[in-house]
Amino acid sequence: MSVLNYQSRLADADAGPGSHRSHRRSGLAPKGYLWILPAFALCVGVIYYCVGYSIHISTLSWDGLSSHKQSVGLENYQRLLTDPLFWSALWHTLVFFIVVFAVQTSLGIVFAAMLHSKVKLAVVYKVLIFLPVVIAPAIMAPVHRNVLSQEGAVNWILSHLGLGSFTRSWLADTSTSLWSIVAVQIWSSVGVAFILFFAAMSQVDLDTLEAARIDGEGNIRALWHIVIPEVRGTIVALGILNAMAALRLFDFPYLLTRGGPVYSSEFPGVFIYREYAAAHAGYSSAASVMLLVIALLASVVMTLRARARK
Amino acid sequence: MFEVRHRINRVILQVAITVMVIPFVVPLYVMVKVSFSGAGLGNYKAVTEVPYFLYFFRNSALIALGVIVISYVLTMLGAYGFSKLAIKGREFFFWMIMGALTLPEVVLIAPLFPTWSKLGLYDTFWAVIIPVAALQVPFTLLLTRTFLDGIPNDLMEAARLDGCGSVRTFWNVIVPLARPMAAAIIVLVFINAWNAYLLPLAFLQNAEHEVVTQLPQYFRSQYSDDQTKQLAGAVLTALPEVIAYISLQRFFERGMAAGAIK
Repeated sequence: MSVLNYQSRLADADAGPGSHRSHRRSGLAPKGYLWILPAFALCVGVIYYCVGYSIHISTLSWDGLSSHKQSVGLENYQRLLTDPLFWSALWHTLVFFIVVFAVQTSLGIVFAAMLHSKVKLAVVYKVLIFLPVVIAPAIMAPVHRNVLSQEGAVNWILSHLGLGSFTRSWLADTSTSLWSIVAVQIWSSVGVAFILFFAAMSQVDLDTLEAARIDGEGNIRALWHIVIPEVRGTIVALGILNAMAALRLFDFPYLLTRGGPVYSSEFPGVFIYREYAAAHAGYSSAASVMLLVIALLASVVMTLRARARK
Repeated sequence: MFEVRHRINRVILQVAITVMVIPFVVPLYVMVKVSFSGAGLGNYKAVTEVPYFLYFFRNSALIALGVIVISYVLTMLGAYGFSKLAIKGREFFFWMIMGALTLPEVVLIAPLFPTWSKLGLYDTFWAVIIPVAALQVPFTLLLTRTFLDGIPNDLMEAARLDGCGSVRTFWNVIVPLARPMAAAIIVLVFINAWNAYLLPLAFLQNAEHEVVTQLPQYFRSQYSDDQTKQLAGAVLTALPEVIAYISLQRFFERGMAAGAIK
């Protein structure tokens, strides 16, 4: 993952002889401020403006548009911290992250290993695994609603397998709505993991693998002892990508369940949007700020841990 | 990767992967099948008769184009500056931009709504293009800077000794060198802009300004829950992406995997 490569390069530059060269470079090179200005202005302008403005809104009682604003200090935060809905949204995010990450990684590795073996029609399998990544979640949402409905494909398959007692309306059942969203996310993101592992595995040293074979290691053991350590960097990168995806999740829960039934599949993104749409801009922004703090902490912790492992 | 010497193992492997791929195909199969059930082609006809049907596609294309142009230009300029030119406090500025990588887009709605209204940008494509680009650029900048950092500086030195200023070096050396990166960036940004749902939902109001991701939902709000027409709408809106992916497979896969490989 480039984030990690980049950081290790930074570390090299701090310590190694590379730092000397980079000093020489900056001494001779022309000034670059004007070159970075447009990107800096757009990103920092939009993003820090929004974050700052959100912090301001979070101290208000405001409907989001009218001129009637009332400052309420930290009241929104006090309410938020005792709001069980917000906490359950965060809990769902954690569960979602762990399960999606685990399943996506294992399936991605298995698919990549299989398609690196001699399989016929490999391109077809590759396209079918990756297609769900390309199609917009909002476009697929009605399809998933249909597949998971009472008369949908999941129940059809279950009843033909003799598991008719398990059939239900998956999205309308409080005990399965969250897991349905987890499953849909897995469906639409295994392709990313697969492509990453497929690329990483093409760099595994075939001689090492061959040597292990001669030592009598079977396919599964070779995968576990030689291939997986080689793709550890990809696993870490996927962990970071998944954590970010979990924290910003909106399209699937909003379009499949609206966070329901009875908030059983609530996520922070849906929570924030619903409060905002209900003209509680202050409360919604307090949740935004909390989410940002959590996202920032998560990324700092993960990059530090990733760096420590190197 | 897996070694399959015996014929029987080869068959087992083939069967195993086929069974494992089935769950990925089911929704796509259902999508096409249900879209033709009931009124058959009539479902598609009904979708094309949605007011401003072609506008959905045109609008998505315009927004994607705007985001791609802005992201590409800003990324190239910025990556060259960060990677090859003299900037005091380089890493500080860089990490300020990278801070945006963790930003969930839902956070932008409350502050941008009154801002766009005040600036007269609400319900214009800029209201979507600007925030989508601002969320894309940090990532593409990170990828491209990492890519340029891998190119030896001797090349820039040589260009400079030949009398190239930074503008000509950029144009004659950096842009051509970064071309493989450009394809990946364009694909990545295209997918994210074309698939955007929340920001268009929040900032575009007029029916003639809606985008493709809103088309399948049209039949949910209008006629309670008309599944067959929703799925016909899903097929029609997914089609451009599917065609683009299948014809440009390599670029799509590289775009999604960009930077993840050393």
